[in-house]
Amino acid sequence: MTRTTTITFLLAGMLVFSVDTFAQQKTKSNEHDHSGHTMSQENASATDQTDHTGDHTQDHSEHDMSHDHTADHSSHSVSTQSSEHGDAHHHHHIDHDHLMDHEGTMIMGQNLDKLPSSCKSISEEIEITVRAGRKYAAKFPGTAFAFDQQQWNVKPCSKVTWHFINEDNIRHQFMMHGLPKYLYKYGMFHLEVTGPKTVSGTIIVPGSDDTFLVHCDISHHMEKGMKAQLVVGKGSENIPSIPGLTPYNLTDTYEAENLPNVSDKAEKSIITRQITEFTNNTNSLNYGVVLIGILVGLLCIPFLAKIMRRKKDN
Amino acid sequence: MPILIFIAILTFYTVSSATIAQASLKLPETVKVDPAALTAEPMCDPKIAPSWRAAQEIEGVKIQESPGCSPDNPAWIAAAVKGTNNISMETLMKTGLSPDAIIKTDDLDGDGDPDRIIIKLEIMELNGKSPDFPGLVPTFDIAPGVQPGAWVFAPKTSGMSTENFESVRANPLLRLPSPVIRVEVGDIVQIVLENTHYFPHSIHLHGVDHPFSHKDHGGNDGVPQTSEKELMPGERRIYEFQARQSGTMFYHCHVQTHTHLGMGLGGIIVVEENKPNNWLQTLNIGAGHVRHPSVAVREQFDQEYDLHYHAMDKELGEIIQKYNDPRLIARDMNQRYDITDSTEDYFTLNGLSFPYTLRESLIIVEPDQKIKLRLLNSGPEMIAIHTHGHHATITHYDGVEHNPVAQIMRDVFDMAPAQRIDLTLETTNDGKHSYGEGDWLIHDHRERGGFTTNGMAEGGSISSIVYKSYLNGDGLPKVSHFGIDLSKYFTKEYYERRLPIWQDLDETASLGSPAGQSGIDAATQTTLLNAMYGLLIGLFIYLILARLKQIKQSAMAAVSRLKSPKGGNQ
Repeated sequence: MTRTTTITFLLAGMLVFSVDTFAQQKTKSNEHDHSGHTMSQENASATDQTDHTGDHTQDHSEHDMSHDHTADHSSHSVSTQSSEHGDAHHHHHIDHDHLMDHEGTMIMGQNLDKLPSSCKSISEEIEITVRAGRKYAAKFPGTAFAFDQQQWNVKPCSKVTWHFINEDNIRHQFMMHGLPKYLYKYGMFHLEVTGPKTVSGTIIVPGSDDTFLVHCDISHHMEKGMKAQLVVGKGSENIPSIPGLTPYNLTDTYEAENLPNVSDKAEKSIITRQITEFTNNTNSLNYGVVLIGILVGLLCIPFLAKIMRRKKDN
Repeated sequence: MPILIFIAILTFYTVSSATIAQASLKLPETVKVDPAALTAEPMCDPKIAPSWRAAQEIEGVKIQESPGCSPDNPAWIAAAVKGTNNISMETLMKTGLSPDAIIKTDDLDGDGDPDRIIIKLEIMELNGKSPDFPGLVPTFDIAPGVQPGAWVFAPKTSGMSTENFESVRANPLLRLPSPVIRVEVGDIVQIVLENTHYFPHSIHLHGVDHPFSHKDHGGNDGVPQTSEKELMPGERRIYEFQARQSGTMFYHCHVQTHTHLGMGLGGIIVVEENKPNNWLQTLNIGAGHVRHPSVAVREQFDQEYDLHYHAMDKELGEIIQKYNDPRLIARDMNQRYDITDSTEDYFTLNGLSFPYTLRESLIIVEPDQKIKLRLLNSGPEMIAIHTHGHHATITHYDGVEHNPVAQIMRDVFDMAPAQRIDLTLETTNDGKHSYGEGDWLIHDHRERGGFTTNGMAEGGSISSIVYKSYLNGDGLPKVSHFGIDLSKYFTKEYYERRLPIWQDLDETASLGSPAGQSGIDAATQTTLLNAMYGLLIGLFIYLILARLKQIKQSAMAAVSRLKSPKGGNQ
């Protein structure tokens, strides 16, 4: 969890992916003036990670369509040449700590300047990139979704800007719980975005050592792996059932299954196979037949020998 | 010493056999369950604002009155009619929908309504297992305390899956049944499936005119064996169609259909006739009363109801409550679950069983009305829906109009699995269409389906055709004037089979629950007595043997004494 690496990675990522998004951000305030919506925070924007790989055609058709409906505020999207996600920065202002755009990209409980009572000043300003998606679950067998990291460590009183990159084609959330309620409504900080796309938001963490739950609250995303923790300072008690980090409170029972195996079919010489099959066969019936054979042999051979001898005598 | 023990046991034996004989003269007392011991729920859900019941207009959308206890959220209806892209942020925030859940644009035929419709659906699990605590999450009760594991198509939501961070109860948009979808003939419809679930899924548009394959989006029939690959978790697929025929149809997941449909992945889709200014209620969340019917329906009918009948197997739903690991759930569902050995346990109408059907699936009528009912059977068996007090006319089978002169009236409507019928219900009091005002049941006449929840009656898909004069202030059927109290059904103990259902029928609770035997039961008592009896015999024999000499001597003495006088005599 070296923060510097994260930041470097983030900056590099931003350069590669969204050179044009910066351009859009510049015109952003104008866009909002256009549409008559006010933005309470300048950098409270969803930066747009335009994914040019993947199922591009689907994205196109869909977003082209969603464009048409926003005819009333479409002028800016034309002027900024921002391709299919053009008006993604168009934040509707719900209240001071709840921002949402027309695609449901959401920033809730952001805190840019309110210092927690336990802090005299901001200790440091850092940026952390969090990636979310199905592919990050691959390293944790038995999960379906995950974040790229399961724990982040920050200093008390640090101001953290989160860049949440959703790499799936569905909604994901970066939802933090347990923050001081006098600064954060319901003690929550919440980023939400339908991917592939990025949303960013900032918080100031409290001054005492603590550990906060981070998860995606879409039904069974947390249960199936999308769970992590933010450790402030030395942290407090670990949060359970974080993949690869903390044990589950309740674990499933696993049993070995009778799965077909390639070695069952491996080619062997006919003789070897027959012998192995025979010797491996524990079927008592076969042994019974062998036993009968032996008995018949024991009884009949003297009899046959007698007949043979009699023939010879003749 | 042994003689003392012998005497003690003998005394005890005599006393206890006497007590037992005395006890069997009187049977145990009746124990009445104190209503205070029950987890009573309010009959009408207090979380739903009564103001939602009134006829109203939101965002220019006229919403009909819906006097039942739990009507649909009017903001949902406004959003469904206008599209989430054409309503104010204020209304949108009241819905909980994602701003891109329903996108309506482009009046292509110039008749005053939008013709490009995008509907985004997610797949949500209800009542699944948590690795953190022994309960289920997010919970959805089909009846008090009854929480079958289920999956649903849900309109794309925004925010949490539960009511709030403290609650495990599902967000009201995440519920059974999958929502009813309404589109118009000629609309270019995209149903965008965003697979938020941990299993692969698809959508098959049963009965809806759709191309087998779409030029841009590929396979369009939803079948992993013919038209497309399974849509994996985290992926999105667009199903596009432009229907040429109207009718009541069915959409469902076609991946492992034998389990996925039963789990709840199926809903009604209605293609409405193309009419001018036909702003449709694109989604009817929770089915039931359509509070903004289409132009065609408004022309002919006073009211419209969507009635989705479904049945679920308890053992199937329990698989997602047994494991958290998706691999184990997949194994049990795909390789171990055998539908040919299955039974139906839960029978729902619009996702709920009695008594919750009284909250939101009543058909509330007035005399001399003409009402359109659209029925779907998404369960695995035939059903036979019976209307008390009414005969209704079958106008359409599987979305296709039946020859008008051949249309028939019935009071039992048999429906094969996946079948849809449209009924015209007329509340004309002529002894045939209607027998007059009342609180008339409408139920599946297969008794298990119509009346039971996991075998416990009263449950299942019972609902009522209620005349407004038979409705109380809460929008529930007025039954108190008959001395009926329905409150016992609104307790989870009832469906846990812990409440003697007839205890309150009379003062003495003559059919209440008998108290248990105090102490040990009769059979054990007999066994113990027998054992004691054996012990007594054993001790007796021991005593005889131990004192054999003594006895012999005394016997000898006695004999000699007897003999001696005789001898003396001789």
